[in-house]
Amino acid sequence: MISLKNLGKRYGDRLAVDDLTLELKPGTVTGFLGPNGAGKSTTMRLILGLDRPTSGTALIGGLPYHRIGNPLRTVGALLDARAVHPGRSGRAHLTALARSNGIPQRRVGEVLETVGMAAAARKRAGTLSLGMSQRLGIAAALLGDPAVLMFDEPVNGLDPDGVRWVRGLMRSLAAEGRTVFVSSHLMSEMQLTADHLVVIGKGRLIMDAPLADVLAGSSLTAVLVRSPHAGDLADRLRAAGIRVDRLGENEIEATGASIERVGDLAHEAGIRLHELRTREASLEQAYQELTSGSVEYGANA
Amino acid sequence: MRALGRTIGSEWAKLWSVRSTWWCLACALVLNVLASVTLGGAAATEAMRAGAAGTRVVASSPVVSASSFVQFALVALAMLAITSEYTSGGIRVTLQATPVRGMVLAAKALAVGPVMFAAGVLTGAVATAAVHLVLSVDAFGGFVVLPFGEVLSDLVGMGVFYALVSVMTVGVGAAARSAAGTLTVVFMLLMGVPLMVLMTGSPALVEASLRMPMFAGLAFMGSADNLTGGPMPYSAGEGLAWLLAWAAVAVAAGHVVLRRRDA
Repeated sequence: MISLKNLGKRYGDRLAVDDLTLELKPGTVTGFLGPNGAGKSTTMRLILGLDRPTSGTALIGGLPYHRIGNPLRTVGALLDARAVHPGRSGRAHLTALARSNGIPQRRVGEVLETVGMAAAARKRAGTLSLGMSQRLGIAAALLGDPAVLMFDEPVNGLDPDGVRWVRGLMRSLAAEGRTVFVSSHLMSEMQLTADHLVVIGKGRLIMDAPLADVLAGSSLTAVLVRSPHAGDLADRLRAAGIRVDRLGENEIEATGASIERVGDLAHEAGIRLHELRTREASLEQAYQELTSGSVEYGANA
Repeated sequence: MRALGRTIGSEWAKLWSVRSTWWCLACALVLNVLASVTLGGAAATEAMRAGAAGTRVVASSPVVSASSFVQFALVALAMLAITSEYTSGGIRVTLQATPVRGMVLAAKALAVGPVMFAAGVLTGAVATAAVHLVLSVDAFGGFVVLPFGEVLSDLVGMGVFYALVSVMTVGVGAAARSAAGTLTVVFMLLMGVPLMVLMTGSPALVEASLRMPMFAGLAFMGSADNLTGGPMPYSAGEGLAWLLAWAAVAVAAGHVVLRRRDA
């Protein structure tokens, strides 16, 4: 539904987005990850036609954003929850948006209900908490019942209930066949929400793969073995070119080999095993590994 | 056309959903009444002193002169219609809803312009009535009169003037993107530059500055009061043409900036 081709954006001499090529598919939640300043928000602004790309194209259903008629009915996006006139009520904000795209007025009440802020709809936006502002921003994104949804850090400022609610919302939007593109820096959250991951660093694509592959591909995913002959097994595995760390008297950790391979090698050597299991890297760890070379504002601790 | 209509509807809803709009209109009304009665009192006193037979002061005439002050309350309203979007970041939401940028600018101008026309006519009518009520008494010589045709043409003229100044302000706002920048530019165009030029006393420069928006407006509204003391060197029709030109140039400048720059 969203397709980026060689997308690039340069601000002065800084490349914010560098030759990004991507396809985002309907029916999936695509998590958009990267350190601060990696170009996530810029990429979203380029897709929405708010910033003009210096190179390449960003198309939604084959069209550049500005060619989509009544775009809120095709693409709903939340970039900055605070981007509402502080003196305007949430309801008035949504009403104005609905009018601009010929969206029936009843949708305003519906989305306010969906995001759970019907009671606060008449409060002025400047008086809302960050969490409530996020809900209003999500309501605005849902207003046109769009097939494509983009959220930039939607769980910022939400309480644990709100976070769980957003997770469920993303999952259900994707289950309805919509394209959901969501950026976050909360890895644990993404691990629970996303089907597919796009990781960028310094504006460049680092990874574009299903969540399961990212986790499995991490060098931090390891096979743990407990055996009364752990020492012998370690020698066998090393001889087969597998990295082995000794965790204890009877325990070793093998990295860079599948659980089947480790099991087979143990069997061939006739070594008894008491435990054989994989320890999956968390997304946090996999992400650290992927982006360690591309942190824009890293602290030199 | 349909999309433009929808966008105007959206801008209309935005305009009336913030308090600043109501405040600016209230300010314009109060300012118009106070300034008009004051200027009318001065005019009536002057007429009394001259005392010539047939002297009269049309009640809406001091209201036209008061436009030099009242315009700023309405400029503030027009300015906020666009610069508040940059202050809050709401412009990015607006452009998501209406990605054709020229349409956003046109819709803002077309939503604000008629409001300003109505504000000019209505606050002008109230101010004219106040001038007549306060100054038609014998103590002021009974010189203040209320001829229907002249008053009506003054009121409509003011409405057109305020509408065009507001459209110009929307254009400047889109180009400057900040309240402070917009207010500075609009103030300089309306008052600052002409006053500075008057102080230089250079006839060629003064002649040129009389084509700037405020004087063009006074000429269009047929005001004899211009700060030079002399009559306007051109017709009401030419005044309207200059006003239209200023509004068009400002909107064109705003359009160029809005189209070229990242939001």
